[in-house]
Amino acid sequence: MEARALKSALGVYCGVFLLFLYGPMVILAILSFQGPNGGPQFPIVQWSTYWYRHLLELTPGSRVSYLPVGDSLLRSLALAVMTTIVSTVLGVITGEAFRTRFKGSGPVFYLIILGMMVPGVLVGLGMALVANMIGIDRTWWGTAFVLHVVYTYPFAFLVMLAIFNRFDRSVEEASLSLGVSPAQTFRRVTFPMIFPGVLSAMLFAFTLSYDEFARTLFTSGRELTLPLAIYGTFSVEIYPNIFAFGVLTTLFSFTLLGIYALLMLRAVSRQRSFKGQEEEA
Amino acid sequence: MEIAEKASSGVSTVSVRASADSPAARRQRRERRRAYFLLAPGVLWMVLFMVVPMIMVVYVSFWTQTTFAIHPTITTDSWVRFLTSSTYLTSTWTTIRIWAIVLVATLVIGYPVALFIGLLVRNTTVQTTLLILCIIPFWTSFLIRIIAWRPMLGTQGAINTILLDLHLIDHPLRFLLFSEFSVLVGMTQIYCVFMVGPITFMLSRIDPSIIEAARDLGAGFWRIFWKIILPLSLPGVMVGSIFVSVMVLGEFATAASLSGRKVNLLGNIIVTQVGSLKWAFASVAGVVLTIIIVVVITALLRVVNIRKEV
Repeated sequence: MEARALKSALGVYCGVFLLFLYGPMVILAILSFQGPNGGPQFPIVQWSTYWYRHLLELTPGSRVSYLPVGDSLLRSLALAVMTTIVSTVLGVITGEAFRTRFKGSGPVFYLIILGMMVPGVLVGLGMALVANMIGIDRTWWGTAFVLHVVYTYPFAFLVMLAIFNRFDRSVEEASLSLGVSPAQTFRRVTFPMIFPGVLSAMLFAFTLSYDEFARTLFTSGRELTLPLAIYGTFSVEIYPNIFAFGVLTTLFSFTLLGIYALLMLRAVSRQRSFKGQEEEA
Repeated sequence: MEIAEKASSGVSTVSVRASADSPAARRQRRERRRAYFLLAPGVLWMVLFMVVPMIMVVYVSFWTQTTFAIHPTITTDSWVRFLTSSTYLTSTWTTIRIWAIVLVATLVIGYPVALFIGLLVRNTTVQTTLLILCIIPFWTSFLIRIIAWRPMLGTQGAINTILLDLHLIDHPLRFLLFSEFSVLVGMTQIYCVFMVGPITFMLSRIDPSIIEAARDLGAGFWRIFWKIILPLSLPGVMVGSIFVSVMVLGEFATAASLSGRKVNLLGNIIVTQVGSLKWAFASVAGVVLTIIIVVVITALLRVVNIRKEV
C-alpha cells in the first residue's frame, strides 16, 4: 500500500519535472506568434506570424534589425558536416584499433575521453593562443573545426566501442578465410553490422557540432556561425524574432531526428530479414 | 640456488624466444602494429588540438601582458594581479558556490525522477518513453533553451503573470530574472538530465528480487532505500556529478544571458579578458578553472571510493 502511494506520488513529481523541462520552450513557442508591436513577453498584443517573416527578411521597414541567419546557417551546416565526417571516421578506426589488446590502451582511452570533458572555453582559449603564436588566422573551417572534432570524436569513439564490443570477430575471420578480400569483407560484412553505430555516431557529431559555441567563440574569427549569431544577441535587447528562430531550429532538429529514426528502422529491418533468410536456409 | 635461478631464467628466455617466433605470436605482433597504426590519427589529433592548446594556456599565463599585446617574457605579474584582486577572487568564489548549489539541486531534483523511471516503472515501453521525453529538449539549441527562461521569469513573464492573475502577489517578483536565482534555475534545468540519466541506468539494473527479499524480511521503504537502493545507485550519482560539475564549472553563457551581468563566473572572466585582448590574464583564469575542475573530480572519485571501503 505504501509502495503504491509512493509510486503515484513520484509519478506526479515526474510530470512536474517534465513541465519544468518543457515549460520555457512552450512559452517561447507561444510568444513567437507575438504581433509586430509586441515585446518578448506577455501579453500577446496580436497573434501573427510577423516574426517568422521578419526572420526571412520579408518585413520591410521593421524597427528591429534582422538576425544574421542566412550566411551563418550555411557556415554552421558546412562545419557540422565536416565535423561529422572526420569524427565518425576517426571514431570508427579508433574503435577498430581497440578490438585488439595493446599496451597503453588505458591512457589512450582517457586521452580521447578528455576531449568531451574539457570545457570548451578552455580549449578555445588555448587554440586561439596557439593560432596567435604560430601566426595563422582563426577561421571557422580551421581552428574552430579542429576543436569541434576534439569534442565530437570521443562520442563517436564511445558509440563505436559499444558496437564493436557486441559483435563477434569470427564472422569477419570466416569471410577472410573463405578468400574474400579485406576491402570486400569490410564492405559486405563489417560495415553492415556497424552501420547502426555509425549512424548514431554521425547523429551525435552533427547535432553537437551544429549547436556548439563555447569552442567556436574564440576560434572562428570574424565570420560567425549560427550559435555565435544568437550569442551576439544576448548582450542587447531581445525580440520575438529570436523566439521564432528557436521554434524553426527545433523543428529542423526534429526533422533530422526523424530521418535518423527512419534510416535506423530500415537498417534493423534489413538485418532482421537477413537473419530470417538464414533461419530458413 | 644461483645456478637454479640462472637455469630457470635461461629456460624462460628460450621459451619466450620460441613463442615469439610462433605463428600465433607473429600474428599478435602484426595485429598490435595494425592497432597502433589505426590509433595514430586520433591520438595525434587529440595531442595537437587539445593537449598542446592546454599547455599553451598554462605557458601564456606566465607571459608579460602589455595594454594591447603579450610577449613571451616570463613573469608572474598576471598571477599576482589575479590573486590580489578582490573582483577575481570573488568570481572564483561565485563559480564554486554556483557549482555546489547546482550540483545539489540537480541531485535532489533529479534523483526522485530517476527513482521513478529506473525502479518503479517496470514497463520498458513506458521507461523508454519517459527517458526520450527527458532527452528531447537537447535537440533544441542550448542558447535558445537559456533564452527561453527570459519570458518565463521576467517581470512581465509567465510566472509573474500567473501569480498576479491568481492574486497571490500584488507586485511582480523582481528577483526572478537577472539575478543569481535565474542563473541557478537555468543551469539546473539544463543539466538535471545529465544527473537523471546515469542514476536511472544504475537503478534499472537492480534486481527486483533483492528488494522483494528485503521486504519479505520486514524492511520498510526507508530502510530498503538507505541499505540497498542508494548504495547501488552511487556509481550513477558519481558519473552524473562529474558530468554536471564539468559542465557547470566551464559555463559562461547562462550567466551572460540570465544574470544581467550580476554573476561573473570564471568563464565570463575569460570571455571578457579575451575580448579586451588580455590573453595572459585570460590564461590565468583558465588555469585556475582547470585546477578547480581537477580538484572537484578527484574529490568526487575519492568520495565514492571511501563509501566502497566502508
